[in-house]
Amino acid sequence: MDLEVRSVSKRFGATIALDNVNLKIASGTIHSLIGENGAGKSTLGKILSGVYQLDSGEVELAGQAVTIGSPREALSRGITIIAQELSLVPSRNAADNVYLGIEDHAGPWVRRGVIKDRFEELTKTSGITVPNDRPVSALSIGDQQKVEILRALARNAEVIVMDEPTARLSVEETAVLKDVMRSLRDQRKTIIFVSHFLGDVLDVSDAITIMRDGKIIRTSKPSDETHDSLVEAMTGRKAGDAFPAKTPPKSPAPVLEVNGLTRGMQFADISFTVGAGEIVALAGLVGSGRSEVARAIYGADPFDSGEVKLQGSVIKISHPATAIENGIVMIPESRKDQGLILDRSIRENISLPYLKKLSQLLMKRREENSMVAENFAAAGIRALSSEMTVRSLSGGNQQKALFARSLAGHPTLFIADEPTRGVDVGSKRAIYELLADLAQKGMAVLVISSELDEVVGLAHRVIVMQTGRIVAELVGDQISESAVVSAAFSMKQREGLAS
Amino acid sequence: MTVGDTASRSINVKSLLSKYAIVWVTLLVFIFLSSSTDAFLSADNLRNILDQQSVVLIVAAFTTIVLISGGFDVSLGAIYILAPLVALRVQNNINSAWLTLLAGILVGLIAGLLNGVIVAYGRINSFIATLATSFIFFGIAYLVSDGTILRVTDITMREVATTRILGLTSATWIAFVVVAIAWVMLDRTRFGRYIFSVGGNFEAARLAGVRTNRVVVAAFVLAGAGAGLAGTLNSIRSVTAQASDDFSIIFSVIAAVVVGGTSIAGGSGAIWRSVVGVFFIAFIVNGFNLNGVDPVYQRIIQGAVILTAVGADAWSRRDKS
Repeated sequence: MDLEVRSVSKRFGATIALDNVNLKIASGTIHSLIGENGAGKSTLGKILSGVYQLDSGEVELAGQAVTIGSPREALSRGITIIAQELSLVPSRNAADNVYLGIEDHAGPWVRRGVIKDRFEELTKTSGITVPNDRPVSALSIGDQQKVEILRALARNAEVIVMDEPTARLSVEETAVLKDVMRSLRDQRKTIIFVSHFLGDVLDVSDAITIMRDGKIIRTSKPSDETHDSLVEAMTGRKAGDAFPAKTPPKSPAPVLEVNGLTRGMQFADISFTVGAGEIVALAGLVGSGRSEVARAIYGADPFDSGEVKLQGSVIKISHPATAIENGIVMIPESRKDQGLILDRSIRENISLPYLKKLSQLLMKRREENSMVAENFAAAGIRALSSEMTVRSLSGGNQQKALFARSLAGHPTLFIADEPTRGVDVGSKRAIYELLADLAQKGMAVLVISSELDEVVGLAHRVIVMQTGRIVAELVGDQISESAVVSAAFSMKQREGLAS
Repeated sequence: MTVGDTASRSINVKSLLSKYAIVWVTLLVFIFLSSSTDAFLSADNLRNILDQQSVVLIVAAFTTIVLISGGFDVSLGAIYILAPLVALRVQNNINSAWLTLLAGILVGLIAGLLNGVIVAYGRINSFIATLATSFIFFGIAYLVSDGTILRVTDITMREVATTRILGLTSATWIAFVVVAIAWVMLDRTRFGRYIFSVGGNFEAARLAGVRTNRVVVAAFVLAGAGAGLAGTLNSIRSVTAQASDDFSIIFSVIAAVVVGGTSIAGGSGAIWRSVVGVFFIAFIVNGFNLNGVDPVYQRIIQGAVILTAVGADAWSRRDKS
């Protein structure tokens, strides 16, 4: 079933997510959609699978113009999406999840035997196997994803949109998933693969469509592309000049010194330093313990043993409040869940950590206003006024509001966890400049990022983690995407733990 | 520019209508009753309404703060019963109106502290936790009173609640002061900011350095103290207290707060909303009474009105997002 998209546009408020997009996707292929955050690739996937509705244009399926008003309607036409956040019922097993809502039944009674037989038949024909003897919550993310794929197949899906399916998978699981994708293609299914991971994209695709700012840049074969050519097309810049120039740190004196930090199953024996004026990146796969280490330093979570030194003296931090008093600030991983009070004003969000200084019996509104105004400008927030609610801002400006809050603390150590996640291209560059600027002013900066180009483009030093331990430290010329990846994926650590 | 101006002006009018909807509706009820029911707009009737609602206002003020902080406290009904029993024991020994009130406040404070600690540090859902402590407080109430009716031994003590000042009873004035304190706390102090941030996004507030657990405890302590004060004031006014007294005030309070527009999901609301909510319900009940509506039907209609008000509010919010 060939799929064709004609002049499709989609807006969200003032943001144009898709701008007159035309695209053909051939039946029985793996077709990748790539682009930076906000390029429109996920939006396109969601329009095809009925999660969003297009504003204008049309979608043709096997030569017929069709409407896709809801995920249910998409499915009736054979299109479904496997979203980043899986939507399984955690307490039920694989077969129950696969046939949820389409159970075989006799009157009100579910025919469990028939379901089990059909499930076994389905796993045989598709070649996708998952354990069915336990609730899906006990399965790995990779296996849970397979259950979602089986669910799509059980509903006779011909086109499967996969939105960042490898983002939370280990290397081995990614390899398995790619095999599953290839075998589905061989069964004449069409897969639309939305991904950030260019290596996987080059490896598995039959066609690659590159998007930027809601437009399609080009569609090509993987054999005609390289990693750098993709990056260039995605960013519209030569790979490399997306980042401000690195200025070497002035003094080598460490601001932060972490010695033997350990916590339960999450990380062990973590030791590193961050100097004044230095940007250190903590890299590694999601789940390698990067964020957990940062959160422990910041006092968001406790740790079992080890010590944290700030400017030479050991500090005891049991709560983020103590961290802030000591000049440590952190921009958390998820700005919506952990960072912002969305329904309060920009002003209140910026001043929140510093209210003790800004109040006696009552709030000192004048001092608060001047603090807010100063940092609102320093972070380059674009908003009509600081009285607007944070919810009304774009992702990039929300992130800048968090920067403004952190800057207001005049910190000595600045921790930023995924500082550009879900941020548009323009804001991204602005955030990189902010971080580089902080370092230049002599702050110690610790950045955690899943985006390799960011790690390579920003950091003076890269610390690579794997399953809770540091496996490599890269400095200067040693820093490259391939070096980081090979350290993050190296099997050394796993073997070490297994033996 | 002009197009944008008119657009933003029409949005402003719209938001004025929806933001203050409960105020307009309450005014409509007031105007309707003023014109339809002779006895409504008399000084005596209005003074009575204020006097009757004084205890509701006191409890509602701090209940609003608990709700905005993301909590829920059903035990305030039990505290409202327990506090005066302890306070009257105190009164029977030390004959001082102010010390009696203070004792009532203190009981509420301790009960609120227990609630707050259980909710914040025990990580137990606040509705369930305060439901459980309600039983405990009622049990203690029977213990303290031996299951008997306690009486205020000195009738002159009633003056602490009934003295007329500028035409209004002292109970009304006490309520005004409490409401003003809650209002200032929520709107003008650091604590108020913390309440909104904790209720709006608990984890974000914690990571921003807010001592979230302490804020939650403080909210419950204040609510307990308010209920203790209100219960004691009420018992001094009626000169008696017993463990089996009517504790349904908590339902009126939560209804008023929610009708006023404070979200039970936490993070948004205002003291003035609860004040308006209290009077909205009070006017309707008063109107029924003056027109001789059967109390059985009164309750049914009252329930329907609350559902309508809250439903309309939820509906208008859904429309926005």
